[in-house]
Amino acid sequence: MLARRLLAPLGGVAVAIALYPVTWGLDAIAREGQLGPGFWPRLALGGLALACVGKMLEDWQRLRRAAPGAPDARPPLARGKLVAGIACIVGYVLLAPVLGFALVSALFIAAFLVLGGMRSVPAIATNVVVGVVALLYLFVRLVYLPLPKGDGPFEAVTLALYRALRLY
Amino acid sequence: MGEIFANLGGGFVNAFQPLNFAMILLGLTIGIIAGALPGITMLNSIVLVLPFTYLMGIVPALLLMIGVYCGGVFGGSITGILFNIPGDPMNVPTTWEGYRLSRKGQTQYALGLAIMSSAFGGLVSALFLAFFAPPFAKFALTFSTVEFFAVVVFGLASVSVLGQASMAGALISLFTGVLLGTIGTEAQYGVERFAFGVPFLKTGVDFVTVLIGLFAIGEVLEQLVVKGAEPAPATSGARAIPKLPLLALWPLRWSLARGTAVGIAVGGLAGAGATVSSFVSYGLEKQISKEPHLFGTGHAGGLVASESSVNGSTGGAMIHLLTLGIPGSAATAVMMGAFLIHGIQPGPLLFTKQPEQVYTIFAGMILANVVMIALGFLAALSFAMLMKVPASILNTFIVVFCFLGAFALRNDLADVWLTMLFGVLGFFMRRWDLPIPPLVMGIILGPMAEQYFLTSMVSHANDLTVFVTRPVSAVVLAFSLLMVVWPFVKTFRARRRHAGGG
Repeated sequence: MLARRLLAPLGGVAVAIALYPVTWGLDAIAREGQLGPGFWPRLALGGLALACVGKMLEDWQRLRRAAPGAPDARPPLARGKLVAGIACIVGYVLLAPVLGFALVSALFIAAFLVLGGMRSVPAIATNVVVGVVALLYLFVRLVYLPLPKGDGPFEAVTLALYRALRLY
Repeated sequence: MGEIFANLGGGFVNAFQPLNFAMILLGLTIGIIAGALPGITMLNSIVLVLPFTYLMGIVPALLLMIGVYCGGVFGGSITGILFNIPGDPMNVPTTWEGYRLSRKGQTQYALGLAIMSSAFGGLVSALFLAFFAPPFAKFALTFSTVEFFAVVVFGLASVSVLGQASMAGALISLFTGVLLGTIGTEAQYGVERFAFGVPFLKTGVDFVTVLIGLFAIGEVLEQLVVKGAEPAPATSGARAIPKLPLLALWPLRWSLARGTAVGIAVGGLAGAGATVSSFVSYGLEKQISKEPHLFGTGHAGGLVASESSVNGSTGGAMIHLLTLGIPGSAATAVMMGAFLIHGIQPGPLLFTKQPEQVYTIFAGMILANVVMIALGFLAALSFAMLMKVPASILNTFIVVFCFLGAFALRNDLADVWLTMLFGVLGFFMRRWDLPIPPLVMGIILGPMAEQYFLTSMVSHANDLTVFVTRPVSAVVLAFSLLMVVWPFVKTFRARRRHAGGG
């Protein structure tokens, strides 16, 4: 348990150590005797490293005081759902330039609703259709947001959809 | 004084002209809606209405922009309270308390408090502007980057009151935020920092992407995957219709007064603005409060203080523009553009040459804040209806709106990637007991602190003592130090008492 709790602050120390040398070259532009553009990042990295060490000590002390074998106070996690949720979100952004906003949003809405526990197909379909059409009207027609249209055949599908909805 | 009353009376007559009043209503509506949508900030909406003012006279044009300004600074608190998505960085402290109140089933109360305290802060600030603008502007002009740095440090020091569960955890978050704020092209020397050749990093990390990701996406993931997580907002949806708690404000009158005073004072410092004032007033309120341990769990005093200071800063920011012709914030800089487009140079001569216009603007601000109670109520009512939607649907569309909000910033999918990345980071920060608010403060206030610090150093030949030899800076920094040290003193005294008793 201690190793798991130390993971985040250790990561912070590693990031601070890795980035510190990057700041050395930044001050070359500064005049003699003046604080350069590397000063503030160094301050932040130093502070981050110190705070991480402090957190490690704090966690170590807290665990030392806790009764041996005491359960983790944090609520349990549905790991499968977490992976699926992150995959949905990453896939949403990853596929947006390929499929276009309309198609990728339809897929995302359906997938995330299922992940959230919705099982009724008509309800999912209604949310997808009403949601995507409303979003397109609001953000393409009214706000003129140049949302991704997709690549190749998907672009043609998006444009056809825009024409059908009289967005163009 | 009699002359001011007479001019203000004339201003009200002008502001009540049908076209002028319609512009106030239209501006407020646009501002509240735009402010509530993440990614479309109050500043964006002022910029968007600017071209429409070309064909108007200066008074309706300015009243439209003032409406957008007053409505925009309030609007972001609605989605913050309901969905944990602050519309603007300045609404972040309101979100910390308002969303927690909402999760406790007190959505009506939280929304009502936000509306009333915003209107109160804005109203007092507009009255202050009408009566004390010239002498205050003269006093504020004596401030330099040294004092601005001290004020921003005071805001950053409030991290100590946000991280009482784990000070080290709060500091990790704070320094991570400060570090993220250094990414991109540095303002003074034009050097790229931590961009590593990635084009979109050269312009820096937009803090709106961080806000949307950490708060909204992190919360959606939390609700999706944590077994036994707090009930979704839909369970309290039936009680989401806002209520205007006039009597409930009385016990919070001192929080309201402090928040408004901080808003006017910090808003009056050119360049500081509503975001700094909301953080400063929240930190101050927690330090003064008799129940600081309840902050972050849905504390009405924290909400009222931050919300009143946000709208309280609007009058302060207008002081510089109208009395000196210097914009006090980005929003007032756009308004200055409207003045110049119409061939009017704001400044001291405006009060002698065109007093009727100046006092119509003052009257417009006063009216806008009164009318905002009704419009804010209607807007909150519409948004609150969404609370009745089942959590699975709400969470799905929150992610879609986050996508759109992040994309709208620069029409770049890179911002959407960042938002989603910060969303996942926000989820794990919650798991690792790292508080999120200090990171947000670091990324917003960190770059300001750096800019003011380095400029002060250049102006004063690297003499660090300048921060303690200038009285205002010394006092503010002493308060900041006290704020940081006080929790440790309290802990030490409690331990000694405990040891003595045991």
